Amino acid sequence: MAEERPGTWYGFGFCGFGQALGSGRGRQVHSPEPLWTPVAGVDICRVSASWSYTACLTRGGRLELSGSASGAVGGCRDAWASEALLVLLRSRPGPGAELQGWAPGSVLRGEPLWSQTVESEAAGEHGSGGEAGARALPLLPSASAYVSPRPPFCRPLAPGFRARRLELGAEHVLLLDAAGQVFSWGGGRHGQLGHGTLEAELEPRLLEALQGLPMAEVAAGGWHSVCVSATGLPEEGSEVRAAGGEDGAPTPFIAVQPFPALLDLPQGSEAAHASCGSRHTAVVTRTGELYTWGWGKYGQLGHKDTTSLDHPCRVEFFRDKQLPVEAVTCGPWNTYVYTVERRKS
Amino acid sequence: MAEGTRCSGDPLVGAGALGEALRALLPHTKEGLRLDLNEKVERSVVMLLQEAAELFYGGRRTECLQRSEVILDYSWEKLNTGAWRDVDKDWRRVYTFGCLLKAVCLCEAPGDATTVAAALRVCDMGLLMGAAILGNILIRVAAVLQMHLLSGKRPAQGPTLEQPNPKVSGTGLGSHRREWTPACGYPGSFTYAVLSPSCSADEEAGSGAGSHLWRWKARNDQVLAPDVELERTVPRLHCPSLEYFRKHFLVPQRPVILEGITDHWPCMKKWSLEYIQEIAGCRTVPVEIGSRYTDEEWSQTLMTVNEFISKYIINEPKDVGYLAQHQLFDQIPELKQDISIPDYCCLGNGEEEEITINAWFGPQGTVSPLHQDPQQNFLAQVIGRKYIRLYSPQESEALYPHDSHLLHNTSQVDVENPNLEQFPKFAEAPFLSCILSPGEILFIPVKYWHYVRALDLSFSVSFWWS
Repeated sequence: MAEERPGTWYGFGFCGFGQALGSGRGRQVHSPEPLWTPVAGVDICRVSASWSYTACLTRGGRLELSGSASGAVGGCRDAWASEALLVLLRSRPGPGAELQGWAPGSVLRGEPLWSQTVESEAAGEHGSGGEAGARALPLLPSASAYVSPRPPFCRPLAPGFRARRLELGAEHVLLLDAAGQVFSWGGGRHGQLGHGTLEAELEPRLLEALQGLPMAEVAAGGWHSVCVSATGLPEEGSEVRAAGGEDGAPTPFIAVQPFPALLDLPQGSEAAHASCGSRHTAVVTRTGELYTWGWGKYGQLGHKDTTSLDHPCRVEFFRDKQLPVEAVTCGPWNTYVYTVERRKS
Repeated sequence: MAEGTRCSGDPLVGAGALGEALRALLPHTKEGLRLDLNEKVERSVVMLLQEAAELFYGGRRTECLQRSEVILDYSWEKLNTGAWRDVDKDWRRVYTFGCLLKAVCLCEAPGDATTVAAALRVCDMGLLMGAAILGNILIRVAAVLQMHLLSGKRPAQGPTLEQPNPKVSGTGLGSHRREWTPACGYPGSFTYAVLSPSCSADEEAGSGAGSHLWRWKARNDQVLAPDVELERTVPRLHCPSLEYFRKHFLVPQRPVILEGITDHWPCMKKWSLEYIQEIAGCRTVPVEIGSRYTDEEWSQTLMTVNEFISKYIINEPKDVGYLAQHQLFDQIPELKQDISIPDYCCLGNGEEEEITINAWFGPQGTVSPLHQDPQQNFLAQVIGRKYIRLYSPQESEALYPHDSHLLHNTSQVDVENPNLEQFPKFAEAPFLSCILSPGEILFIPVKYWHYVRALDLSFSVSFWWS
């Protein structure tokens, strides 16, 4: 997902288990800090954060864990972190790759809980824009199945799908296919499926409200969903939106919105990427700015405080430092941002 | 002693003693705080619980408080994942653990009434959403906090420290009436908006005289109370024998009003708005806002009993608020002493501990739409009167239950203002009705459809048994 220009990862939010987030001081970071890594200069290309630990994958295939799980191992092509399970896609001699599920506490010591050989990404097919991480876990490289933190760990997708991206929420699943269509299924009582009801869906169901509007990205939070259209307008789908409710404030306003709603970014910015945490959302614009909103109690919005917001606000840190933001990945209660150096002309 | 200054900023006299009293309720060492949790609770959380306990016994209050917040926030997310009935009980116990530590830490240092009220609120959240730990310790903590808040106002009466009911608090929340789940949001906030099922977009739920009654200030009850003389009424019996009741009503599943059963229940003499405010005023309870739970604007929220009475009972309420289907007597054991379990419940198969006792407290005009429950019900009326209509389960087809899973036990028909074009069969469905008055108990057989509207300020107690 990260281009060849040298870049830096920043992080902010919850780090109560000592996971790699900035300086590592304190249990929360409210303003972006450069990601701390045990070895300086490593080139992290992907971050996958669970609640109590974070997995960082370098371009060289080295996976580093920090937080409640620690250790490092090589030969990794992809990683997906959850509290119950750390899933690794590892290179193996010969064709295909090895998919492994580890208990986070005993990662990389001893044996994985399970492992199986899987097909590699089919030859000739690449993710959009040549991004290496386009078919990222939890979607398998073959795109015919996905990993779940609860058994059954490997779940096939119906043969008709040409899945490009798949994201897991606390109780729902979002799938983006090659044609830019979005499917959702799972629990729906917070409106996160986007079908206009609070009913659950057992099988993938097409998001009809978005038909005719190809999507470029999907992101699943704990109980909400976000899609970014190919033209750059973020559709805030099925969001549980919360207005800044600090203790003592008037009753927080919580809305359940079961249909996708168009979200306006300030100043007509166009969205390029989106990622969701448990109860917050982060969006990167085409011009390299980062907007965050939602639950902010642990500083995961990066606005130097713990206020929660019900509308997108720019993270001024990156603008102030003139750091164009390229990518963002949210853990449940924190946010990781990839910036590149400003081009010097 | 501070008189009536519950929520002022003045420091409470003897607040240092509060911290001691609370610590006395807890185990002496951190080992005593260990919870046995199943593998569903992740290792990282278990570590965090241990850390929090160590900090507490190490006297590091602020850090313990911070860990408690994390425990509460994380377990709150688990409580909001999936259907409430599927939430693993151990996550609820983790949540209770967080509430316990937070409440006690808040009161470690002498603080003012606001802090104690906040700690009591945290206890109530644990009682509402959590599951009992350490012999249901939150009940005892809440009792100490409540007594401290009211010190000086109450007659000399110790906190209820006798053996608490070991039954788990908080079970049964989210059954029957509607699938109730805590909303995803901030701990301390609590709103769940139910949309009208999309299939009945046309139905104007909440229209009609029945739902707007609360706007009527008319004192003349004749205008508001249906003339039940024109309707077939529920039969009445005075203290029937167990066998008579069983043979003629329980077995054939027929409704009946039992008189004379509650004659010696203390609640009949003791309960009033003042008494309820005294016993339960500072306790946090769930309140339903909106004319009926099938409405789009209907929601649930949390507030203290005092706030509920002030906002929704006296002071010209703008909305209908209803303290409905709440196991108040598990939360406040002292109130349980004012009621009794009807003897007839022993005719069932279940244990006495399994009987669910709910409080229903609200102003004139609250409405429970026509619905059915999966257990037998004794509905005891304590304050005020209720108009109740009953339809047999055999008439279910004529009552047009909702399709959606969430409301499948609820009829789509507005009983006192039915849309007969949309629901033609309803007009011919036979029913029984009554006005249930203080001192009477209505037997509602399992799955019997019932519709309830309060004709006065009302307090009912329901007993669900099998």
